[in-house]
Amino acid sequence: MKVEIKKKTEIKLPSHCLSMAPGPDERLYAACVDGGVYSLDKKGHQDKIISHGNFVSGVNVSNGLIVSTDYDGNIKWTSIDSGKEQRKIKAHKFWSWQSRVSPDSKMIGSVTGQYLVGGYKYEPSYETEPSIKVFNALSGEIIYEFSHIPPVQSLAFSNDSRYLAAGNLMGEVRVWDLSSGKMYTSWNTPSFTGWGIIKGHYYTGGIFSIGFSPDDCSIYLAGMGSTRDPAAGNGKQLWEEFSWKDQGMPPKMKRSALDSEIGQGLMETLSFHPDGAFFVMAGRMFKGNWNIALFDTDKGNILCSQNSGIRCSDILFSEDGTKFYIGGGKSQGKKKVDGFDSWGRIQGFEINIS
Amino acid sequence: MADENNIKDCGSPDHGIHRRKFLEGITAGSLSTFSWSGLFSVPAFAEIAKRKQKHCILLWLCGGPSQFETWDPKPGKPTGGPFKSMPTKIPGVHFSELMPSCSSIADKLAVVRSMRTAQKEHTQAINLLQRGNKVRPPFVRPTMGSVLAQQLGQLGSKIPNFILLDPCPEGNEFKGFKAGNWAGWLGAEYTPVRVGGKYKIPDTEKLDSITDGDHEARAELRRFFSKKFENETKSSAVESYNATFDRVRGLMSCSDLFDLDRLPTEDRERYGPGTFGQHALLARSLVEEGAPFVMVANGMPWDTHVFNHEIYQMVVPDLDNIIFQLVNDLEDRGLLEDTLVVAMGEFGRTPWINQARGRDHYPNAWSFAMAGAGVKGGAVVGATDEMGIEVTDSPYDERNLFATIFSALGIDPYAEYDLPNFPTFHRVEEKIQPIKEILR
Repeated sequence: MKVEIKKKTEIKLPSHCLSMAPGPDERLYAACVDGGVYSLDKKGHQDKIISHGNFVSGVNVSNGLIVSTDYDGNIKWTSIDSGKEQRKIKAHKFWSWQSRVSPDSKMIGSVTGQYLVGGYKYEPSYETEPSIKVFNALSGEIIYEFSHIPPVQSLAFSNDSRYLAAGNLMGEVRVWDLSSGKMYTSWNTPSFTGWGIIKGHYYTGGIFSIGFSPDDCSIYLAGMGSTRDPAAGNGKQLWEEFSWKDQGMPPKMKRSALDSEIGQGLMETLSFHPDGAFFVMAGRMFKGNWNIALFDTDKGNILCSQNSGIRCSDILFSEDGTKFYIGGGKSQGKKKVDGFDSWGRIQGFEINIS
Repeated sequence: MADENNIKDCGSPDHGIHRRKFLEGITAGSLSTFSWSGLFSVPAFAEIAKRKQKHCILLWLCGGPSQFETWDPKPGKPTGGPFKSMPTKIPGVHFSELMPSCSSIADKLAVVRSMRTAQKEHTQAINLLQRGNKVRPPFVRPTMGSVLAQQLGQLGSKIPNFILLDPCPEGNEFKGFKAGNWAGWLGAEYTPVRVGGKYKIPDTEKLDSITDGDHEARAELRRFFSKKFENETKSSAVESYNATFDRVRGLMSCSDLFDLDRLPTEDRERYGPGTFGQHALLARSLVEEGAPFVMVANGMPWDTHVFNHEIYQMVVPDLDNIIFQLVNDLEDRGLLEDTLVVAMGEFGRTPWINQARGRDHYPNAWSFAMAGAGVKGGAVVGATDEMGIEVTDSPYDERNLFATIFSALGIDPYAEYDLPNFPTFHRVEEKIQPIKEILR
């Protein structure tokens, strides 16, 4: 399989884009750190349609509603048709780090947790509130509260909407069976977490993105490899694949990004192409030659890659799989006389498969 | 140096007594090094020394703490980040929401929000904020700790005059600085004793095979010959060796004071389990035992070029609790009036976020806080613009800061150093004024 990508569009947003969701008429919804959710049409025209009081960490679409989450721990439901807010709940005392709607559109999950000092080596302390909450996507009623070690930075629903996986700073993944509400399995990978040898003795990194393989048999994790200097951001651009579903068998790592193909930098997002043949991982490049790479699902090698010049926080494929979008931003830059330049970006890429 | 504030010359009529007691202790031989503390058994002297003794605890926030997530929040502004502000005990004054405990004791703190300094790289800025003036090679100005050790230290104290508590992360600029010349022209006697990480001082136990008398006699013999050699050769290296030997002998007599295990569990829990909290508690304990200057550092966790908000969610609450516990504990023990607590780094952090979720170095507008000796609680001085980019009111620099620290501790900020064959140097040059608004 030969895959090529070509950047076709770049849209500026007032501030960094943390999350995207598809809207009607090929619209995109973009969640930004200025507290806005922006609606963008095909030509890049943008309207701020939702306002939050803090960074908007997630935007999702479900049942004709936009469901957005923020760093105040709120979840908002907004009607796509009327633009009116339908509901707002305080889901967490701390940030909603990430939120996802289940593929069957019935549930919305959100993860939280503040990293507080819990030990001599600055191990995270135990949670003071449930780290994972699952709500009815329509009614907003709470369905499940799950425990984890905070901060929990990422989550994913399985493609059949039966399982939910969540990963934390310390590289621990917990998977729950949503049909029973019980934890199905858990494991820990130390690869994504760094303890500062240089500068300061504390932990950084963690699992920033989780994805189920198209057959739900594997769970993919993305983030940055362990680093000795927490102020450098120079860990490996890393993903790992785990088999997790084998009854009676402990989860096991199957594969990871090939050392020969990766550089350094935090990878914030990983997403599968609709046909499942490849997945994209993206983030920030510290050293190397790419911050967006397409990986062969079967072999794990890079099919193509590119340095897009921005920090990428989210990936969104078009429904037909011919395009994908990267949401993120550049450095905020210094203030000018009339304010800060627009520093958020959405880049559109065309995919050619031969 | 002509300086009436030097507490080593306490002016007490008991001074002679303490010298005699000291000599008795040495010549008796049968007394151990604990005779150093024996001089405090003379009630009159002990009382005077206690009354005069000032202390300073420096919480050294190396790496450069962000003013936005601590003392000068700008919530809702493009530079503000995700953390909000919260009201404090001082009407109209807000700190970051990450500092609820400090907000509750804002009436005991003095905050300066208008520091503007010139160095934006760590090594140079650490030098600037540790020494209080620009570098003027080849002359090495002593650090704040060395000056305070000289000025506040007491002759014969069993506790080192300058203690640095730090877990010593590898390969950073602060580690490089630590390997440098802290005491400068004051000499090796005023370099810090550094402890950290494992809490206890290793290798300070006297061997069981040596009696106290033998131990003392050997030390006297070594002291006699090395002093003679030092005098004959006028060697600064030998002077340094002698200072080191004296320090080790002092440590042997007080190493138990560095043992956190002797402190109440409840106290250890209150300060938090991390090294910074534990070392801050140790600093409190050492001050209670008479230590004049303790610097508590914790590597450079404040240098958040990457993950600024993700790291500050952890380090700021830790600092918030430490300041709260320290100030309240010192007050409860009647020590706050005589102990200056300073929380500061070498600069602040940029208003703008870089591409790695971080804030970079920013000396143009930053903040620090103080409490205790000589300081007016509840004073909040200086201001920055609405986005925290420029100082808009009462700009101060390192010289104002050092003049403030010296003044708060009753030390003449402008005293001239007595340095033969050197140019003229003062503790603070050009009679730069202290920040009077925060001084009592």
